[in-house]
Amino acid sequence: MIGSLSRTTPVIVQGITGRMGRTHAALMRAYGTNIVGGTSARTDLKEAAGVPVFPSCAEAVLETGAVASVAMAPPGETRAAVMEALTAGIKLIVTVAEGIPLHDAIKIGRAVRRAGATWVGGSTPGLAIPGECKLGFLPDVCLKPGPIGIMSKSGTLSYEVGYRLAREGLGQSIWVGVGGDPVKGVRFADMLPVFFNDPRTKGIVLVGEVGGAEEEECAEAYARMGTRKPLYALIAGREAKEGVSMGHAGALVHGEFGTLESKTRQLTQAGAKVFGSIESLIERCARHYRFDKR
Amino acid sequence: MLLIEVDGKALFTEYGIQIPAGVVVTDAVPPLPGDGPWMVKAQVPAGGRGNAGGILRCDTRPEVEGAVAGMLGRRLKGHSIDACLVETAATGHERYLAIMVDPGSYGLRVIYSAQGGVEVEQSGSAQGRLCAPHPGAVTEALADLIAGEPAEWREQVAAIGKAMAKMLLDRELALAEINPLFVSRSGCVAGDAKVVIDLNAIDRQPRIASLIAARPAIYVDACRKIAEGFDYVELDPNGEIGLITTGAGLSMMLIDEMTARGARPLNFCDIRTGQMRGSPARLIRVLEWITSSGSLKAVLVNIFAGITDLAEFAGLLAAAIQASPALNVPVVARLVGRNAAEAQRILSETQPNMLVTQDLEEALARIDAIVRTAS
Repeated sequence: MIGSLSRTTPVIVQGITGRMGRTHAALMRAYGTNIVGGTSARTDLKEAAGVPVFPSCAEAVLETGAVASVAMAPPGETRAAVMEALTAGIKLIVTVAEGIPLHDAIKIGRAVRRAGATWVGGSTPGLAIPGECKLGFLPDVCLKPGPIGIMSKSGTLSYEVGYRLAREGLGQSIWVGVGGDPVKGVRFADMLPVFFNDPRTKGIVLVGEVGGAEEEECAEAYARMGTRKPLYALIAGREAKEGVSMGHAGALVHGEFGTLESKTRQLTQAGAKVFGSIESLIERCARHYRFDKR
Repeated sequence: MLLIEVDGKALFTEYGIQIPAGVVVTDAVPPLPGDGPWMVKAQVPAGGRGNAGGILRCDTRPEVEGAVAGMLGRRLKGHSIDACLVETAATGHERYLAIMVDPGSYGLRVIYSAQGGVEVEQSGSAQGRLCAPHPGAVTEALADLIAGEPAEWREQVAAIGKAMAKMLLDRELALAEINPLFVSRSGCVAGDAKVVIDLNAIDRQPRIASLIAARPAIYVDACRKIAEGFDYVELDPNGEIGLITTGAGLSMMLIDEMTARGARPLNFCDIRTGQMRGSPARLIRVLEWITSSGSLKAVLVNIFAGITDLAEFAGLLAAAIQASPALNVPVVARLVGRNAAEAQRILSETQPNMLVTQDLEEALARIDAIVRTAS
């Protein structure tokens, strides 16, 4: 689903009359996303951000044929929003909320899996196919069509990487913020086949963080799938304090588990290249892909 | 977030899991339960305490007093030891039992090992089973794992597992671990408690909220997050560079890169500019915390604004600096994104001495220079 998103994919915004919903629906439309409507509990509003407002996902889907949704719901209400979207038949759902309770995320994950849908988030700025559409709020200043597939646990760190790559003339094919939560939708390893099968993508940038085992999983999958495209990784949190979540609920180190050393070692063994600084990653990508062009 | 052992054990007893008799010591050692031997255990929210000298076995009261005196006030794994747990040393065969959320399967992982002890997590001897997040599924998974255990205590281990599963699901925990679990014919006793809570569920978990609120000195960062609504973690009490940054990942990366070049960041911070709503209060709070450190030499502001209007942020930053008389070190601001040029203009008027740049490398080089000059 992610790889085939385009400017024609019909998208709704759940919670479109709220401060966030209204703002980002307008920004997504301005970028080119085909926002066809939104949902809201407010029955007095028929329109927001220039698109119709529906009382439920079911009605929105029925009227507009939407297949994707961006849920602009607070963390405690995200689970209900996802359940509503799935029942309505939505196939791709992006949840941007930061701070979804862990056990809610488990229930969301199980429901999404049962429905055969795709979930991106939480704690994510969303995803984009630069030049086509964005679902969420990746800043336009970072987005530029090009050959790099980006997947990231961190919004801001990926902005920094995307922005500096774009400044070097290197844009992105597909950009997915997998988000900073431990229990989430699409994981790094899930994105590998998407990037491998996407003809626009020439190289993959993984922006990871300490905590969890996603980078390790991705390393295993990368080796298993035959390292078909270069994988460059940047992992934040070398200096993270043990036992404390560093902003992201997922960025939590216990003992040996989830450490930078473990992630670096496994990614390197799998054939990926892990960088110690943003600048070194940018330099390497710029060198490699400029050379490619000649 | 990891609870200290005594708080994990408090939850255990509420679910009927037995723990050794013990007392929490913060100063002089009170009368001790039983006749010894005792375990003296540093109460810090970090794993690996045993290998780091935070757990000692003592046979006599003078030994306990010596061990407590040696621990209190010391730092262990980045945390200062403000309390010790002194408890009777449990006896029996040592086992390992843990239930945790398994992110990849949207379920739980139940781990049981016939060997307890500090090395079990690394040794790979622990067997795990994935199951659905329901008590019945945990019971089934554990029954499989303990099938080889002697019949006389198998049921007791199963009962503990059931209690742990109920606790994990009721309290929305990420992890509940007992290592070692002492098993014998007379009963099972949890020798340790490692409980990882979910701060995101704190609003609907009053029991967990009360545990955290009761120990503001130990759960400093969590209490701050609950009270203030954003993340601030003190990293190095003698740090030289205060950070006002946004975004968890970029803030962490910045700390990593600064540390790698020999700088000493004081704190981690994800200030969430989007939640400021036109008030400098949050910035003033952070400046207050940062400037309370005697070793401060510079402040670095790094904001990558996807959505935030940097012109508005610049006004708030200028207001916060004016409202912070304790701030007497240079501030460097790296602002990039929406309205960055206007932000630069605003700050150049109100803060003519502040370097304001869109280039992170330039900002870091200036910070290095300031710290060098001040040293």
